[in-house]
Amino acid sequence: MNHIQATWLQGYVQLKIEGYRPELFFDLCARNQVHVWKIKKINETTCTGHMFIKDLKQMKKLRKQTRYKVYFVKKKGLPFLFKQTTSNRPFILGLIASFFFVLLLSNMVWSIDVQGVRPEIEKQIRTTLNENGVYKGKLKFTIRSVTDMQQLLLDEIPELLWVGVKEKGTTYALEGVEKTQVSETEESSPRHIVAKKNGVITDMYVSKGRPIVSVNDYVKKGDILVAGTLKEEQEEESEDKKSKNIYVAAQAEIYANTWYESTVSTPTEADYHVLTGDNKNKYYVTIGNVSFPVWGFFQKDYEDQQIEMEKRPLHFFQWTLPIHIIKMNIHERDHIKEKRTKEEAKQIGIEQAKKNLQLQLGRDSKIIKEKILHETAGNDKVKLRLYFTVKENIAKTQDLSQGD
Amino acid sequence: MNKWQQRLGNWLTNHLHLPSDTILNLPRITTIGQFHAYIENHRGLLIFKDEEIQLKTMQGVVVITGSDFVIKTLLPEEILIEGTISTIHFIDSKNNEQ
Repeated sequence: MNHIQATWLQGYVQLKIEGYRPELFFDLCARNQVHVWKIKKINETTCTGHMFIKDLKQMKKLRKQTRYKVYFVKKKGLPFLFKQTTSNRPFILGLIASFFFVLLLSNMVWSIDVQGVRPEIEKQIRTTLNENGVYKGKLKFTIRSVTDMQQLLLDEIPELLWVGVKEKGTTYALEGVEKTQVSETEESSPRHIVAKKNGVITDMYVSKGRPIVSVNDYVKKGDILVAGTLKEEQEEESEDKKSKNIYVAAQAEIYANTWYESTVSTPTEADYHVLTGDNKNKYYVTIGNVSFPVWGFFQKDYEDQQIEMEKRPLHFFQWTLPIHIIKMNIHERDHIKEKRTKEEAKQIGIEQAKKNLQLQLGRDSKIIKEKILHETAGNDKVKLRLYFTVKENIAKTQDLSQGD
Repeated sequence: MNKWQQRLGNWLTNHLHLPSDTILNLPRITTIGQFHAYIENHRGLLIFKDEEIQLKTMQGVVVITGSDFVIKTLLPEEILIEGTISTIHFIDSKNNEQ
C-alpha cells in the first residue's frame, strides 16, 4: 500500500490493455516490480490500469514478450504539466511578464502620506516633493534617499521645524512639525532690560521703558539699561508710594561694542582635496555578492576621485529581494598642496577666526575690526592671538521682582 | 519434503505462537465489511472479472465472487480489491474440493 504514494508528483499514466485475458499482463507487471493500481475490467478483452511514468520502460520490455496491445488513455501528474507549460510559449511569456509587472508595481511609490501639518504646508510639501521627483508612480530606486528628502524639505519650506520621512513599503509616510511663531506673551509682565555683556553702547532703540544709560556709556554685565519702572524709586519709600509706581515691560534694542579674544593657529603648508565639480554616475545591479554594471561603464576614469554610493533594494510584494540597484556618483577630485607665506597664513588664520566668531555670535552681530595682539611662527605654523571688536545687541530681559 | 516442512510449520505455530500465515505461506485475507479485501501471500492473479477474482496460492486457488471489482493495488504478493464481496472460496489444488 505504501508503495503508491505521491502519484501526482511522480506522474502516472492510465493504460488500456487489449488481448486475451488482459488482467494477466498486469499480473506480469506486478511480478516484475512494476506498481500497478486501479485495475478495472471493461470487457472480456480490455482492461485499464494505472502505473508510474518511471515504470513505463520496464512495461514496454514486458510487452514485447507478450501479444497484448497497450494504449495510453490518460497522462497525469506534475511532469506532464511541466512539459505542457514549458512547451506553451505564450503562457511562459505571460508568467515572466507578470513577474516583471509585479516587480515594477512593488517598486513604485503608491502614496505619500503627510501628517501633522496644516493643509497649506501639506500642499507645499507635496509640490516640493513633486518638483524633486517624488510622486505617485515614480520608481522607488530612482528617488533620493530618505535623509536627503528630509533635508530638502527643511531647506525648501522654512515653516517646517522638523520633518520625518519613513518608507513603508510602497508608501512614504511624512510627519511634519511646524514652527509656531511665538508672539511675545511676556509683554504684560514688567521687566528691566539688562546688559548681557560688558561693552560701550553705540546705539539705543528704546520702545518701552525708561532708559538709564546713554550712548557711549560703558556698561558691565548685569547693569540695568532700560528700567521697567517709569518713576525713579526713592529710598525709604513706603509701601503705598511704591504701589503707585507704574511698571512696564521694557523693550529695547541696545547695540554696544564688545570685545573678544581668540587664538588660532594655521599651518604654513596646506594639503587638502577639492572637488572640481565634474562628476558622473555609474549604475550596478547586484544579486547577492555579484554585481553587474548596467549603465555608464565606458567612461574614462578620473585621476583622483571620490565615490558616493547609494544602495537601493528591490521589492517583490512585501519581500525585499537580495537584488540591489547601486548608483555610484563619482566626483573628480583635486589634490592641492601649497606652501603659504607667513603673510598668507596670517590672513587665512584671521578669516577663520572671524568665521568662527560670527558663527558663535549669530547673524545680528557685526565684527567691526580685528587686531593682532601677538603672533608666533614656527613648527610650520603661525600662531595668532586676535582681538575683535564686535557690534552686537546686548539687551537681555530681566523680570522685576515684585511684592517682596 | 514439502509435507515434512508443513508439519514443522504446524508445530512452530502451535508451540511458539508464530503467525501461521508467514510460517506456512498461507494467504492472509483481510476484509473490511463487504467492500474491501486485502490478500497477502498470494502467488499470482489467475482470473479477474467484474464479478470474480481467482488468485493462486501455495495450497490452491482462492476464488472471490461479488460485483464491481476493481484492483486498487497489485503487488507481487499483495492485492487489494474493492467492490462488493459476496463469497470467498478455497479450492485445494490436490482434490479440487472446497
